[in-house]
Amino acid sequence: MAFEIANIDGSADNAAEPSRPRKFLLRHASFMVGSLTILLLGLAWEFARPLGLPGLSRLPAPTAIVAASAELLHSPMFWEACYKSTLRIISGFCLAQIVGIPLGFIMATNRTIFNSAFPVAESLRPIPPVAWIPISIIFWPTREASTIFIVFLGAFWIVLLNTIGGVSTIDQTYRRAALSLGSSRGHLLRYIIFPATLPTIVTGMVISMGICWEMVVAAEMIAGDTGLGYLLWQSFEISATAQVLVCMFTIGLAGFLSSAAIRKLGRLLTPWSPNE
Amino acid sequence: MAKDARVQVETAPRSDGAGKLTAHARYRPILLQVFQGVVGLGIFFLLWYLLVDCFGVWRFKQLPHLVSSVREFLSRNPTYGVSLFTAEYYRHLWASIQRVAIAFVTAVTCGTSLGIALAWNRWFRAAVFPLLELARPIPILAWIPLVITLSPSRPASVIILTFLAAFFITTLNTMLGVRSIDEVYFRAARSLGFSDFAILRHIVIPGALPHIFVGLQIAMAACWFSLVASEIVAGTAGLGYKVWEAYYYVQFDTMTIMMATLGLCGYLSSMLVRRIGKALMSWREEMLGGLS
Amino acid sequence: MQGALSIRGARKVYDAKTAKVVALDSIDLDIAAGEFCAVVGPSGCGKTTLLNAIAGFDTLSRGDITLDGQSLASANASAPPDASRIVVFQNGALFPWRTVLWNVACGPIMQRRLTAVQANQQAMELLARVGLQDSANKFPGELSGGQRRRVEIVRALINEPKVLLLDEPFRALDALTKSVMQEYLIELLTYVPKTVFFITHDLEEAIFLGDKVVVFSSRPARIRQSVTIDIPKPRRHEILTSPRFLEIKAMLSGAIHEEALRAFTVGERELA
Repeated sequence: MAFEIANIDGSADNAAEPSRPRKFLLRHASFMVGSLTILLLGLAWEFARPLGLPGLSRLPAPTAIVAASAELLHSPMFWEACYKSTLRIISGFCLAQIVGIPLGFIMATNRTIFNSAFPVAESLRPIPPVAWIPISIIFWPTREASTIFIVFLGAFWIVLLNTIGGVSTIDQTYRRAALSLGSSRGHLLRYIIFPATLPTIVTGMVISMGICWEMVVAAEMIAGDTGLGYLLWQSFEISATAQVLVCMFTIGLAGFLSSAAIRKLGRLLTPWSPNE
Repeated sequence: MAKDARVQVETAPRSDGAGKLTAHARYRPILLQVFQGVVGLGIFFLLWYLLVDCFGVWRFKQLPHLVSSVREFLSRNPTYGVSLFTAEYYRHLWASIQRVAIAFVTAVTCGTSLGIALAWNRWFRAAVFPLLELARPIPILAWIPLVITLSPSRPASVIILTFLAAFFITTLNTMLGVRSIDEVYFRAARSLGFSDFAILRHIVIPGALPHIFVGLQIAMAACWFSLVASEIVAGTAGLGYKVWEAYYYVQFDTMTIMMATLGLCGYLSSMLVRRIGKALMSWREEMLGGLS
Repeated sequence: MQGALSIRGARKVYDAKTAKVVALDSIDLDIAAGEFCAVVGPSGCGKTTLLNAIAGFDTLSRGDITLDGQSLASANASAPPDASRIVVFQNGALFPWRTVLWNVACGPIMQRRLTAVQANQQAMELLARVGLQDSANKFPGELSGGQRRRVEIVRALINEPKVLLLDEPFRALDALTKSVMQEYLIELLTYVPKTVFFITHDLEEAIFLGDKVVVFSSRPARIRQSVTIDIPKPRRHEILTSPRFLEIKAMLSGAIHEEALRAFTVGERELA
């Protein structure tokens, strides 16, 4: 099929002037195709067992999953798990910003500190945070603290790198303009450098939020006793596969919502930045 | 006065008459950088030694000791059977590297193909992309139970999970990369008589390569992350598995060795991806800075 | 000689959600074979829309475009883009990941008109004619703006198009490079005469380069004025201050300024 030079909204420039209902269909064509595919897959899954489809037949049918989710939504244990996980996410995330952003600034503006700290950071960073779980458990007095530490660690590296990157790529002209307008060093930092790096910091926030969920699930599954990750693993251990899928979906939804929330926050912080 | 002179030398590299920097002045900043880096690392190890081995401050005393870890790693007859000289070490190392290699290569192949297909054809994208977007927010580890249920064996599920992590990232980045190619290149190619295949080969792939390689570096890190996690949960051998086992049997020195090895592997693999990327995109290196 | 372009009643309407945007409003234009037609008008007025229709990247809502009697575009249909009408784009479309030589030679090779050896040879000859034979194995990113423009024009010409379409090609260059490039273009075209459709917002450039200057009004675009330039070619930059040049400029600048003012007050988006 020829590569479409057409517009993203689905209307090719070559389309003839169609009638009203046709226009509506064309404009929402992508949406309809997508929904149809999902619907068809859902149906195939539902009837996987009688149809004898290989993989999907081992899983509970969508209707069973919906039933399980209804059940789960009524249980306080589920909501407590959500609450616990969310709390850990918020703590780890905020800690990562609080520690990572200033440290990033310092490293990006002071060459000596950067040269000294960077090799250490680059040596520690490739170690997956999951591998830190045992150390975390040994070191921190409470299990909660060790879980939050893992979340923090995952997010921290992203925040640090993004902040350093953001500060070092500030257009020199901003700095020069400010200095020629009589700006002092502190003034420069606060009113010029910091806002100029905000878009990159915000990007770091959005990415690190995604990482946070990965980490919390990992930590809870491996070494936790409450939370969505733990619930997921428990459901697996007792072979409540429908529940497993509900948990998966819940975690995915929570991750999506939190990323969207951070992105919203980011737009509030940087109103001058054009939307992606 | 003499101090000022020294500072002056360090900040303004001296040049000979022809304008070239003297060798002395050229290498000075790099030497300084390396020196500071070494000092930084030194401080890190010193702190480790002081806080853990020497004084045992607060809970630091329960952490693995620097000295014993290093000694264990370098000894020919380690207490817990894992050191630079034992086969056990290499057995785990190889198990993990093998899995990452298989998963990464498969994920890159599938991911780039799917990403290009998604960017190329509007209808395919409309049908498949929503599915991807539904699956993507789910953390990789949340897939573990599902994958274990559906997969034939435990080592297979580790590879599948590692594959999944890299796959999603690669697909998305490839798709974004292709869509980020300026439309003007496609128009020019059409006018010049490029066939669909020629466009794919000469426009789409080279044009998306920068984006793809950024994605590959992230995917590599994700691979190691999910490898370790899935080895802990479902593995029978490998670096991640051994970290947990060592923790479980209170063999902290072995644990540290494994962690350090993981770090090194991650670093080297990312560097490898970066190098390959640089080689494939040599045209980027040649760009004149700033001239339009 | 081939390349007679004929545009009749060209009209283009965009259905931008609910408000219909009329980009072109009944354009009638004839460009004889080998004629250099310079189109001037305020930014965003529709000049590029017409160029896209000729090139095959876009369609017309109404009207016809024919090339040597063959239909290029009619209502909602367009002949696909091909080498008979090649475009030199405003911001350049040299493939940055291929060498200069590959960029120039790729057209004939892809169209299977020439073998690789022949194409490379021709490409080197053309590059030598614009003084860039030493840059053949460099990447476009290593060249300056003016050099890149030259390569792109050469890339267009090697495909022996019937019509050469240029969309504000010298816009991104500084004034000094621009004047050199203008002379270059004229010289090149004396060796290889072509029908040219040249878009610019610079009136002096249009008069200097064109055999005919056409003034487009602001959106919706209509032809406001059309003047034949009777200054003989090849032209050198000295003519920029000749009395005939200034006379022609005086004829056209009133209309241009009016259109520019109208576009300005309406707030046309600068097509950067």
